[in-house]
Amino acid sequence: MSITVELFGIPRQRAGIAKTQAEGARLDEVLLDLARRFPRLAEACIANGRLQSGYLANLNGQRFVSDPSTALAAGDSLLILSADAGG
Amino acid sequence: MPSHHPGPPGYHGCYLRIDVGKQCAERVGLAEVELRKFLGGSGLGVHLMLREGSHQVDPLSPEAPLAFVFSPLVGSPLTTSAKFAVVSRSPLTERINDSLASSHFAIAGKRAGCDAIVLVGRADTPSILIIDEGQIRIEAAGELWGLSCRDAETQLRARLGNEYQIATIGPAGERLVRYATISHDGRHAGRGGSGAVLGSKHIKAIAVRGSQRARLAEPAQLVALAKQLSDKSFGPATAKYRELGTAANLLVFNRLGALPTRNFQQGTFKAAEALSPEQMTQTRAKTRASCAACTIGCEHIYGFRGGDNQPGVRMEYENLFALGPLCGISDPDVVLGASRVCDELGLDTISAGGTIAFAMECVERGLLDAPWLKFGDGNALHRALHEVGRREGLGALMAEGSRRMAKSIGSDALTFAPQVKGLEMPGYEPRALQTMALGFAVGTRGADHNRSGAYEVDFSERVDRRQPGLEAAGMAVETEDKAALMDSLILCKFLRGVFTDFLAEAAEMLNLVTGWDTTPDELRATARRIVTAKKHFNILCGWQPAEDTLPERFLNHPLPDDPTATLTPERLQGLVAAYNTARGWSSEGWPTRGQIAELG
Repeated sequence: MSITVELFGIPRQRAGIAKTQAEGARLDEVLLDLARRFPRLAEACIANGRLQSGYLANLNGQRFVSDPSTALAAGDSLLILSADAGG
Repeated sequence: MPSHHPGPPGYHGCYLRIDVGKQCAERVGLAEVELRKFLGGSGLGVHLMLREGSHQVDPLSPEAPLAFVFSPLVGSPLTTSAKFAVVSRSPLTERINDSLASSHFAIAGKRAGCDAIVLVGRADTPSILIIDEGQIRIEAAGELWGLSCRDAETQLRARLGNEYQIATIGPAGERLVRYATISHDGRHAGRGGSGAVLGSKHIKAIAVRGSQRARLAEPAQLVALAKQLSDKSFGPATAKYRELGTAANLLVFNRLGALPTRNFQQGTFKAAEALSPEQMTQTRAKTRASCAACTIGCEHIYGFRGGDNQPGVRMEYENLFALGPLCGISDPDVVLGASRVCDELGLDTISAGGTIAFAMECVERGLLDAPWLKFGDGNALHRALHEVGRREGLGALMAEGSRRMAKSIGSDALTFAPQVKGLEMPGYEPRALQTMALGFAVGTRGADHNRSGAYEVDFSERVDRRQPGLEAAGMAVETEDKAALMDSLILCKFLRGVFTDFLAEAAEMLNLVTGWDTTPDELRATARRIVTAKKHFNILCGWQPAEDTLPERFLNHPLPDDPTATLTPERLQGLVAAYNTARGWSSEGWPTRGQIAELG
């Protein structure tokens, strides 16, 4: 199953792309797919199917998610962003 | 004037109280118990305001005290510790105001042999204050009066020598614009109008130098700890700040519908991508800089398109949002230029952008007769800023801030003035980030993202950011307490992600500096005491529970571009009551007698 991944900030810098499609029915599967395709993104942001400390995932702009088993549905958008929102 | 009040390690045990009218100074002792209860920065600052009776006088009167407060960590090898707080009663909110800035001014000020510099009085004519090892003299400002912050600092340094560190006001401070800043080295103590307080004393600039170092209790261990902290500050927790800066918030907030646009009429801005640092990094020259004694290096300085010989401009999320989407501006060069105008005039970018955006909406609604002032018009934004800075034309009204302006306009203007307690809102749409809405409502300084980090709760799985439960209130308290400690120790909040156990690590730093045996529990109590002291100050200024709310626009009116983002008055009132209860205050927000007595 393919979902849309939107990248912001450092994740976008590392992946070199703002938006992509990724395969997976669960959060960890999508992150592993991204890690395989974007090694620099993986190095900075992803470890063992989880986002590293300092990064967050948000589903469809609605809720933040971190449980690797979080189910994803076709048409979902997964946002990956830096955790600190302060400025 | 050497120090005669040796304090504990990390301190001098006194503050320098200067009457600029009488041109005299005295050292006033600070007992160790006071220092341990309030630490420094914001905490010690509010204590000094209470001690000096700041709440009893108009903030722009000669009697009003204005404090530059250092901290035990200033002058230590700890990264990001070269900070100072400027504390007074705010001329914008008439409540407590503490603005922080990072620069060598903090180090030089503390080396003058004091833990704070408190100014009272008013000079007869525009003047500069020179503090040399704690000895003071007042000189005529002469041709410096009227200059921009940067030009005044440059000229005064050329006259006095490089060993002086110089804080200045710009033309806005001279004209008592209620959101004027105090600047040093391009950094600003920005919020709440401390520049107007200094201007009301007819002081254009303060130049300070000194050589009196506060001793450290355990210098060798502190150096080792500082090395560890510096190493961590290079890690992933600060990568965002190093590589893109705070401006990286822009696209995230836009995607989440939390980017205030056109005076908070929308939560998204179509042209956000063009203003983003991700985009601007590819289209223009950029350099990076650090505050004094900082290893993070969060300042991103952008050049203008075409590389025309103009100096670059620091771009932070707050000036980007306030002078960009909030005013409907989509041209990065306009935003950069407007930021530079604010720097030169000495204007708080958030309040300037907020007030001008409010005025733009007033024009749109037919409440103001200024057809030139339109959303999205870069020339209008620049004209408005110059008029504010010089109190010319419509600027005389806008210089008062959006709340006073709304009251002057009448009709329903106050319902959409973007402020709490008179302080213009920073770039967090409160309907989309409702724990932050609570943080804004209860903030002692007004709508504030630096004294409350409640947005961190919204950016987590712990709450539904559009519909938080009452448990969010306790989480908001925790972020406020953490901010109170960081602002009093003082450490930069951009370090917050590097700590595993902040209270324990902060206690270790403080103990190595002071020789105390502070525990995490003591620091937690200290944070709560500092927040209560600010609340107590506000109560003495006339605070009432009805102040702890948001303008009517944000209550019961969903965001047009996200109807699910609706904040009801009942939800906000419930959160405010839960917050007050979590603080141990009455549900309306009154501290107990015991809590007040404990302030000392």
